[in-house]
Amino acid sequence: MTWLGKLIAGPMLWALIFSLVYALHGWACAGQPGPEGLPPLSQSMLIGVWVLGLLAFIPLLRLTRPGAARHDRLPRLATWTGLVATAFTLFPVVIITSC
Amino acid sequence: MTDATIDPEAAERAAPLTISRTPPRRALALHRELTRVWRNDRGLWGQITAVNHTTLGLRFMGTALVFFAIGGILSMLIRAQLATHQGAFLDTELYNQIFTMHGSIMMFLFAIPMLEGLGIWLLPKLLGTRDMAFPRLTALGYWCYLFGGLIMLTALLFGVAPHDGWFMYTPLSDATHSPGINADVWLLGVTFVEISAIAAAVEITVTILRQRAPGMRLTEMPLFAWYMLGTSVMMLVGFPPLIAGSVLLELERAFGWPFFDPTRGGDPLLWQHLFWLFGHPEVYIIFLPAAGAMSMIIPVMCRTTILGYGAIVAAILALVFLSFGLWVHHMFTVGIPHMALAFFSAASVLVAVPTAVQVFAWIGTMWKGHPQFHLPMYHILGFFLTFVMGGLTGVMLAIVPFNWQAHDTAFVTAHLHYVLIGGFVFPMMAAATYWLPLITGKRRVKGLGEAAFWVILLGFHGTFFIMHLTGLLGMPRRVDVYPDNPEWVWLNLTSSIFSFVLTIGFAMFVLDLILQVTLGKRESRDPWRAPTLDWAMPIPSPSYNFASLPIPQHLGKPARDIMLALARGEGALAGAPRGRRELLVTSVGDARPHHVALLPGNTALPLWLSASIGVFVLMMLASQYLLAGLSLMPVAVLIWIWARGMAPAGVLGEVEASPGVHLPVHHRSAQSLGRSGLTAFLVADGTLFASLMFGVAFLSVVTSGVAPPVATAQSLHSAIGLAAIGVALVLAARCAQTNTPRAVAIGLGSNLLSLLVLIWLAITQMDDPTIHARDALRAALAGYAGLHVLVAACMAAFVLDQFRREEITPQTQGAFGAWRMWQRFTSVVVLISVLVLAAQAGLS
Amino acid sequence: MTRPALILIAALTLAACDGPLSTLHPSGPIATEIAWLWWAMLVGSVFITVFVLVLLVLAFGKPRQVQARFWTHGLGLWFSMAILSSVLGAGLWVGERILPRDDGAVTVQAHAFQWGWEFTHTGADAQEERTFDVLHIPAGQPVDVLITSEDVIHSFWVPQLAGKMDAIPGRTNRTRIEADAPGIYEGLCAEFCGTGHARMRFSVQAHEDWPPDLSDQGATSQEGQP
Ligand SMILES: [Cu+2]
Repeated sequence: MTWLGKLIAGPMLWALIFSLVYALHGWACAGQPGPEGLPPLSQSMLIGVWVLGLLAFIPLLRLTRPGAARHDRLPRLATWTGLVATAFTLFPVVIITSC
Repeated sequence: MTDATIDPEAAERAAPLTISRTPPRRALALHRELTRVWRNDRGLWGQITAVNHTTLGLRFMGTALVFFAIGGILSMLIRAQLATHQGAFLDTELYNQIFTMHGSIMMFLFAIPMLEGLGIWLLPKLLGTRDMAFPRLTALGYWCYLFGGLIMLTALLFGVAPHDGWFMYTPLSDATHSPGINADVWLLGVTFVEISAIAAAVEITVTILRQRAPGMRLTEMPLFAWYMLGTSVMMLVGFPPLIAGSVLLELERAFGWPFFDPTRGGDPLLWQHLFWLFGHPEVYIIFLPAAGAMSMIIPVMCRTTILGYGAIVAAILALVFLSFGLWVHHMFTVGIPHMALAFFSAASVLVAVPTAVQVFAWIGTMWKGHPQFHLPMYHILGFFLTFVMGGLTGVMLAIVPFNWQAHDTAFVTAHLHYVLIGGFVFPMMAAATYWLPLITGKRRVKGLGEAAFWVILLGFHGTFFIMHLTGLLGMPRRVDVYPDNPEWVWLNLTSSIFSFVLTIGFAMFVLDLILQVTLGKRESRDPWRAPTLDWAMPIPSPSYNFASLPIPQHLGKPARDIMLALARGEGALAGAPRGRRELLVTSVGDARPHHVALLPGNTALPLWLSASIGVFVLMMLASQYLLAGLSLMPVAVLIWIWARGMAPAGVLGEVEASPGVHLPVHHRSAQSLGRSGLTAFLVADGTLFASLMFGVAFLSVVTSGVAPPVATAQSLHSAIGLAAIGVALVLAARCAQTNTPRAVAIGLGSNLLSLLVLIWLAITQMDDPTIHARDALRAALAGYAGLHVLVAACMAAFVLDQFRREEITPQTQGAFGAWRMWQRFTSVVVLISVLVLAAQAGLS
Repeated sequence: MTRPALILIAALTLAACDGPLSTLHPSGPIATEIAWLWWAMLVGSVFITVFVLVLLVLAFGKPRQVQARFWTHGLGLWFSMAILSSVLGAGLWVGERILPRDDGAVTVQAHAFQWGWEFTHTGADAQEERTFDVLHIPAGQPVDVLITSEDVIHSFWVPQLAGKMDAIPGRTNRTRIEADAPGIYEGLCAEFCGTGHARMRFSVQAHEDWPPDLSDQGATSQEGQP
């Protein structure tokens, strides 16, 4: 993978997981915009996708090794950025239960 | 960016880049030689044919300033109207036009063109090159911007300006609720202007990635370039949803295709999603270049280097991506499930982190250095005070329950002005006062600039600080009178009074600029003792920027230590010995010299092309759809002539850029700037396609409206037709592998065949697109596919023509590479469309 | 500062927050929770603004040795993350609490049009009562409003009772409002909807008894009819 590729891999992965969970959630909630809660099955599906997404960062972290040079540090920082963003923006799947 | 094939790590293992210096020559002789080649033509005609980045960048910024003044006058009218609760002098219809135009002008005709202009003007100087990658495209962008802006202004003069608010929510903006051309002016005018945004984004991306001075690695380039790279990529991905939405809404208004009409299977929320998919990134598109300017100016003002370069680059990266994950925070009140709101709330909150990283890195830089009170520093402090508060109210608005109260009130008006004036206008004023000597060659007249700053600061906070409270007391946006709410009067009156102070401040600022241009004394070179290449040139900057291009031993040194060496031709590509505009193209990662690009000279073609697009826009506005279709003919002819201008011609031998460094010219290089540019454009085009796909998915999954009628298109005939198109396009893509006349001819044939089948399907099989949104979207997809296949066919024909003219040889590829990329893209998106249609038919 | 001056400032501040459409003068539990959220965020923001300004003022002086990581990671990342996480948590917690739930609350309908509101509630004898520009609700209990639109997008907002919710053609949105005490509360259309937008006001009348006896108001409530 090129250096630019490594640089954007982490954030791209975030974008992918975020869109996927958002789309799945839209599909799960479609047609029931009321006070009803999210079906438990759908919720576990969302949580599953989120956890799998977080795990997907492990190979990326292995790929972008830490280093002293800026050249090595940046892709590493970017991967962490993606990981933190995935954890932070999607953690509502475990605490929100409503549609 | 797929052409970043040169692996930086492999390159790193290779020896470090060394280029020996060229023996010095007389600077004046070089200057004369270069000026002859690079200068604009004389007189007014010379302004029309100019393609030079300095000329056009300044013209972009100057025009943007004029629009800023016009938008500012409109805001004065708004404030005058709101000063009392009975609304003294504007009627509601006119008031609606004025606030719509204020927002639209400030966003599309001031902020975006201003940052494009800054990028176009500054980047080549900062990166050590002589012009942008595609000078004619720069000019085309400028003319499209000017004509689109003039169309919108003319509409305002005739009282038919857009009046549905700058985000044009449907159904208010549809043909039923907004008859007349007001909304069309917005949709067509803004889309016309956006041609310049896409053009600038393509150029800026390519210029940063491919035209850095040899040896200037990505990880060492000035931060402004990183910021602009982020901006331009965001523009490539952010503007297509808006363009897609505008085209769909215009189709709905003009032909009754009900994409957004809930009574016919459409959904008004689809517009909001498409609009804010653009609209939120837009805020960061505006902020990033301003932050880039800050990152350049602060270290110089503090006599130090920037703190946390790596963290800032990571922050830019985070902003670029995260800002595409928060658009729904403009839609917290549309009735979206709470979990979705939580995702977007979290993302909106998280985006404050990279912003905080930058703010603290800048303050840390000031701690590290020795801040000096020059005028740019005043505006930088104005930025900090204003932007921090705007950022904090932004975090508040990201909190869902509070947003439910504050949304669509004056609180939001206050917040967005804190962010846009704090995060864009103050940094731009800092940038103006910092770079003006390079533009004018003059020194500032002391005193007035500082006074202007204080008046602006006082006027701004006096106007907008109190507006937070106005909003919390319940005053909604976009009302012209509030007879029942005397408690809002003193707040509004205060805002109105201070808004006039603010206007006086801006007038003083402009006066200061005028004074500097007219009365300023001559400034010496490099007045700020800067460490960057933009100051390593004479002031005002010459048309060619550098008499010779910087080489590795010139990088990372103070500007004043290298400017003489560059002026005497000790760098690469000294002078213009071959009498043509040449610059050095380098590799993406570590900027190794790759080839020499020959740039086109002065030409009026961009003006003619944008004027002919303007005719199309005017015909659409006049509802003369047949004439509009016909007026695309000259557009196509001019594009063909444009492409002919890129054909290999003249001497194509190798060029000695520096002693011992022999480089091919771009016609003989597979990795030309044109290829990189097409890649960037296809990123934007792919996003446009993805936006249409989003529409299909959204309407079939989320919208629970009227069920679609039984489709006649879902027949055996259609299936056979679609399969035929698919096969023909796969064949065309395969033909585009082989660079022979025979393969290209077959490719041309299969494109034409699939185009014919598509037309046959559209005439005999397609359902009436006015009945239901599903069929309207199918028709829109067919139109998108048809246009791309048509362009692919034209490109194949162009390549065949080049074979006939013997311009394509084993060494020179001509337009073949471009056709191959386009053909692959077209084949893939059409195949995806066919599969999606099949899936949709299967599901229903 | 003297005592009377302080009292005057406090009185002015209170007066400044008052008004029939003020979110800072809540009259129900939902609006109150949001108002508290606002005050908490305001205090936090004031502290952060002052903190940043102090850092800026201190920057003017002799050059100093600085640790880059302290600024970019310490302040930029961890400091901001800590604050933002707590704000987000509070927001989500309040959001979940004030959301409409499946708890059998009284349900009324609000139908927006250019330019006015048609409200429906279930009156005595389970009969549908329609009113224009006046919404009747019971006081002291949560009420769910089902919001629809006839033509363009409008937005239902009673600042003293709850946040706003859009009226979107083709959709039915649900929002929850609650008034502590009987009385009249002002409402407005918050989404720009054309030339009549500024006049698209309505009021909410909260009643002690439910369903209310509207026999003497029947004539007046028809006034806003198009
Ligand atoms: Cu309304």
